[in-house]
Amino acid sequence: MARAVTTRRKVITTAAAWAVGLLIFFPIYWTILTSFKTEAQAINDPPLFFNFDWTLENYTLVQQRSDYMRFLWNSVIIAGGSTLLGIIVAVPAAWSMAFVPSKRTKDILLWMLSTKMLPAVGVLYPISLLFVQFNLLDTRFGLIIVLMLINLPIIVWMLYTYFKEIPVDILEAARMDGAGLKEEILYVLTPMAVPGIASTILLNFILAWNEAFWTLNLTAANAGPLTAFIASYSSPEGLFFAKLSAASTMAIAPILILGWFSQKQLVRGLTFGAVK
Amino acid sequence: MTLADNAAQSRANEHQTKRPSRLFKNMTAKVASIPMVLTALVVFVGCTAWTITYSFTNSRLLPRLEFVGWDQYDRLWSTRRWLISIENLAIFGICSLILSFVIGFTLAALLDRKIRGEAVFRTIFLYPFALSFIVTGLVWQWILNPDFGIQQVVRDWGWESFVFDPLNNADIVIFGILIAGIWQGSGFIMVIMLAGLRGIDEDIWKAARVDGIPTWKTYVLVIIPMMRPVFVTALVIITSGIIKVYDLVVAQTSGGPGIASEVPAKYVIEKMFQSQNLAQGFAASTMMLLSVLVVLIPWAYLEFGGKKRG
Repeated sequence: MARAVTTRRKVITTAAAWAVGLLIFFPIYWTILTSFKTEAQAINDPPLFFNFDWTLENYTLVQQRSDYMRFLWNSVIIAGGSTLLGIIVAVPAAWSMAFVPSKRTKDILLWMLSTKMLPAVGVLYPISLLFVQFNLLDTRFGLIIVLMLINLPIIVWMLYTYFKEIPVDILEAARMDGAGLKEEILYVLTPMAVPGIASTILLNFILAWNEAFWTLNLTAANAGPLTAFIASYSSPEGLFFAKLSAASTMAIAPILILGWFSQKQLVRGLTFGAVK
Repeated sequence: MTLADNAAQSRANEHQTKRPSRLFKNMTAKVASIPMVLTALVVFVGCTAWTITYSFTNSRLLPRLEFVGWDQYDRLWSTRRWLISIENLAIFGICSLILSFVIGFTLAALLDRKIRGEAVFRTIFLYPFALSFIVTGLVWQWILNPDFGIQQVVRDWGWESFVFDPLNNADIVIFGILIAGIWQGSGFIMVIMLAGLRGIDEDIWKAARVDGIPTWKTYVLVIIPMMRPVFVTALVIITSGIIKVYDLVVAQTSGGPGIASEVPAKYVIEKMFQSQNLAQGFAASTMMLLSVLVVLIPWAYLEFGGKKRG
């Protein structure tokens, strides 16, 4: 938005933005940096910035203690699976809400969304009972189902806002040409909504990736994703900062890389509903 | 036949052919949303109802249907730990609501001035949001550590008596957690606000300038009221995050020192899974649910009930 901004003012705002940016980024930077130090250097006083011996030993130690690849793989399967399953369930629902709205549509949507605001602990025990019943405790499949349900309201809401932007006429034209409901959704609506669907997938992938409440309470050694991996380093080894940093870096690296390359979709995804 | 007649005729035709198809359309639409509504109904309502029912029993290790009336609630409200949890949640909630709105909006207004490298800033501001609360908690546990963190750095700079040790001070530990929460969340609010600011017509800015209204006044009187939907979205997201606060506390302080940074969700989980006092946990989660509803229902009524009548 080009407003008449004087050069001096522009310099000040840019400097301020840089300062805030650095402030925000510093904890992440520091974690990554520390992961390459030895334990002694990590707690060195004054803090070391570049003048230390870079080492990979923390990464080796962390890898020895817990198999990173297995946690990573669990994270990928759980986050990916729950997002895809959520999309499959949500597309028809969002379609009906966006193109065939009834008097109740807004209410249903609002009601679905409001479930996001209810405390998850209220349903934790019944769900864990169901998990025991169906032998789902500590399985990836069980977690996929739960995370799908948890994120479903957001997925539906996002898809609904994107679908609403697509002109109804196009769908009606397709119907005139003899497209059935399946063809209409699969070959007309979905391709047109690809950018919106991509943003939805991305945001929900990240949400599912970071989910700790359910993963910590419903998984153990077998299906634990990266959040469980990093949590296992928290209390017993609280003072081994270099190892902790290495574990944290390993846990956040995939998401930081993903975020960097897809930031445009991510920003669009995050602003769902906020902009038309 | 004139053109107008023609149009009327075709409109009438359209009307006729549309009727049956509309009925059919509505049916498929309902069928399409059934799986979603059903799961939401069964899972959320069903499980919540189950929890509320069992909160009136004396279940300990296993859920059992022996009703004891309000006993669990009496016990809950006379437990100091629960009272501290509630107080912490209230402080954390109110502060993070205000701060993340103020910080988020200020950052957005800053970035809205066409700063060079905006995309880079936006990504950096968003990075904390892409981290798990577990990682955030651990990182900030370290930054706030008195021996290696901020306190030590400032002391090294020469301010020997500087004290900043929130995580070991029971009185202010919740603010240590608040800092981490704000760090994680405000970038996200910023992005939402920025999108809202971008959606505002440039002409409004021009008009305000022509009228000689100062920038800050334009923001307060014109822009912010126009961004109402954006604020509602942000509010929903922040609130749902506040009620959920659990993993951050677990990673950062484990509720310590002592029980000074306990939060309701943690209380519930410990009662249910560690101290084998199921019904007490259910009663606590019912209270959480109730407090959310107390906020949610009047808001939903104002937001949507009012419009319908008007």
